[in-house]
Amino acid sequence: MNVPMHRFNYTKLTREQIGQKLKSTESGPECVSGFSDALSGKSLKIVTENGPVLDYRFKSKNMLTLTENGGSKVKAGYGALTLKQVVFFSHMIPGEQKGYNVFIDLDTNLVTVFEVWLSSEKKEKTLRDVEFMLDNREVQREIYFGYVEVAGEKPPEKRHHLTNRIEGKGIHWKQDTGVETLELYASVVSTNFVELTRHADNLSYCSPSDYVLVNDNMFIYDRTECEFSGIFTLFVADLFTKTQAGVRLGFNEKDELEYYMFRGTGKVVGQLAYLEGFGDHGTKPIVAQAADDPQTPGKGQRLVYRPVRDFKYMSDEEVHQAALKSTIAFPDGETSPMAGNNMPFTDMLAGKEFILRYDNGGPVRHYKILDRYKLKYMEEGENRWHEEPYRAYEGDEKLVFFSHMLTDSKPRASVQVALDLMNGLTTCIHSQMGTEYFGNETSYYAIFGVAEMDGLNPPRYMRHELTDELVGHSFAWSYNDNLTAMHLYTAPKSAAWTIFTETQALGAQWCSPCIFVKLRDKVYIYATNEEACNGNELVFLINRNVSHDCGFSFNGKEHGVTLNVVGAIGRHLGRFDILDFYGPRA
Amino acid sequence: MDTGKPRSTPDNHPGHPDKARRSFMWKAGAGMSALLAASVPGIARAVTNNDGKRAADIESLADQVAVLENEKEIRRLYKTYESLLAKGNYEEISSLFANDGEVVFGGDIFKGRKEGIDQLYCNQFRSGSNGKKISPRQEIPPDMGEHTDTVEIMQDRKTASARFAYSIQVGEPIISNSSLVEMARLQGEGIVKWRESGTCNVSFTKNMKDNTWKIQRLEYLKMS
Repeated sequence: MNVPMHRFNYTKLTREQIGQKLKSTESGPECVSGFSDALSGKSLKIVTENGPVLDYRFKSKNMLTLTENGGSKVKAGYGALTLKQVVFFSHMIPGEQKGYNVFIDLDTNLVTVFEVWLSSEKKEKTLRDVEFMLDNREVQREIYFGYVEVAGEKPPEKRHHLTNRIEGKGIHWKQDTGVETLELYASVVSTNFVELTRHADNLSYCSPSDYVLVNDNMFIYDRTECEFSGIFTLFVADLFTKTQAGVRLGFNEKDELEYYMFRGTGKVVGQLAYLEGFGDHGTKPIVAQAADDPQTPGKGQRLVYRPVRDFKYMSDEEVHQAALKSTIAFPDGETSPMAGNNMPFTDMLAGKEFILRYDNGGPVRHYKILDRYKLKYMEEGENRWHEEPYRAYEGDEKLVFFSHMLTDSKPRASVQVALDLMNGLTTCIHSQMGTEYFGNETSYYAIFGVAEMDGLNPPRYMRHELTDELVGHSFAWSYNDNLTAMHLYTAPKSAAWTIFTETQALGAQWCSPCIFVKLRDKVYIYATNEEACNGNELVFLINRNVSHDCGFSFNGKEHGVTLNVVGAIGRHLGRFDILDFYGPRA
Repeated sequence: MDTGKPRSTPDNHPGHPDKARRSFMWKAGAGMSALLAASVPGIARAVTNNDGKRAADIESLADQVAVLENEKEIRRLYKTYESLLAKGNYEEISSLFANDGEVVFGGDIFKGRKEGIDQLYCNQFRSGSNGKKISPRQEIPPDMGEHTDTVEIMQDRKTASARFAYSIQVGEPIISNSSLVEMARLQGEGIVKWRESGTCNVSFTKNMKDNTWKIQRLEYLKMS
């Protein structure tokens, strides 16, 4: 698949279509590795807190009967796998669009049950108060903690529970199906994952997740690809042996049903720092969906960021008409919430005149910098100067990063320019309104070149270059003292941002394709458009030496086009060792 | 003894029984009426005589008890108000106010239950998660604590005024089109929060139909 998941137009499957496709689940899941017969011939009564009582009789290793809450007996196919002392079995209920996935810890008799269902017909409200129905294909889940009832014995006192112990960990998994996935558990309610075999571009995506602690080295994990295919992945993992046993349920991009169990082996690729208080073990769920969600805190509630539901489509022409009414550069200055901790502006270009000449027939721009905030530029071949406001930072010693609009451009465009006054190298991020999906998204590209300026003798061959040096790194960026997010540079062309909760746990996430440019040792440009989100472009100069970034935002909406400043103080949270997983595969 | 505007402080409030209780017993003597005796069983045996002076004392005492009961109700009403704020149950707050009640907050007046008070709490307060009671800062003078709380019942027994120290969380939503702010809102955050302390001056009126107190006017006077 080479269409990004956030761009793919997944079919709106009907309840009937889903019901028809689920018939094949009545005989149970498939599994490449073969099933365990650990439960054959056994009977289990599972008691859950705030959930069902499940009476199971396992007639064989692939057929069971179930009685829910003392109701009528149901016969279903199932599959079971073991991982150390944990037995995991999965089944759907014939004739219904729901099933159970049960993890039994034979050492403790503790049980975690994932009830799953499709065609939820659940209503939610977006952050802008728009009510919508969840897609039928989006697998829902509810987690119940409980135990196996043993005649004559008291129920165990403890339960499995949610955890933040996995937060910040990354694992490369290879399933027995051959599927390889990089999973970066950078939030307590979400996952960054990269499909290394299913997708062509090594882009990362974010999906809501749950993390349950079984014991010190084992955990249960799920991920539902909400806003994408809606498919559900669930497994138990052992971090001592780096092995997993799990299930995948749902519909892929071809609308094919996937219902199979798998085993896998993994490699821990790193651990980011997590910033909760030391007494906070992450046992409480974060389920604060939109406050006026009509069904809060209904069954299956989870925190899902669905930004595109509030993103109103505008055509290229609509955006341009808005831009003609209002194109503003730097309206907020230092008062922007995204610039409270910005780097200071510099006037080190004031009074200078220079030419920036970009390679391969790229633009050649002549500049006269009038003062700290105003410049004139002229494209080579033009005979008149354009005066524009600009803002400039000294991002590193004598390395200037500045931005301005391109006058009267259609589509509206701006440039973010790194100009190295020590070696004459320059990079221009050309930013303009519009993608092939939305007129009110932004697109960008990097061009490289040199400066012609008194006192500079730029190289003939050396240039700034695209880089993957930041891949795997993570920073907490505090834009102001009330707004901190974590960036995780997940792949050479992809990055994610995650917002901290009040307790400094990492919560909601989104991600987008991006580019990285190396300017100097430990000094980079990171540029991204918040795709299928709000269309904003952000272009940062990241200086790892001072753990600070500075930059610009560029966007267009109904009210017009705006170029603004952004910047944050950073804390390096660690790095995943993942670079070797990327690159073209034969 | 001025029973028209008795000032209640923690030292003579029923919640702090020692001093108030001793004073109460001395004043009651042995002439308490049967009615009062029924409501104060612990001193029932003392009520045996019925001369005029004692009857007046008893009347005065009954009056004081009524005042104390009213004070207690008013304190309870204010506690309920604080509790609703702390829990974020903003939509229930206006029911504590008189129909023509008003609130002064941040220099603005919000008048009327529906058009003013509901607007203030359900919109402005909710969006900033305002009102959660928090401990005062160290630098706040010691007299800014509960010791300054007072309740005065007016002679007509239909109106009252009170002063309560407050220290609450105040917040304002961050205004930005950034996805970070949206994500924070998804988690119930995205708010710039600060602490505000001062005095809350409240006037009350009694609804004579159901004999319940309502808040007539509530004004936050910020000190820090």
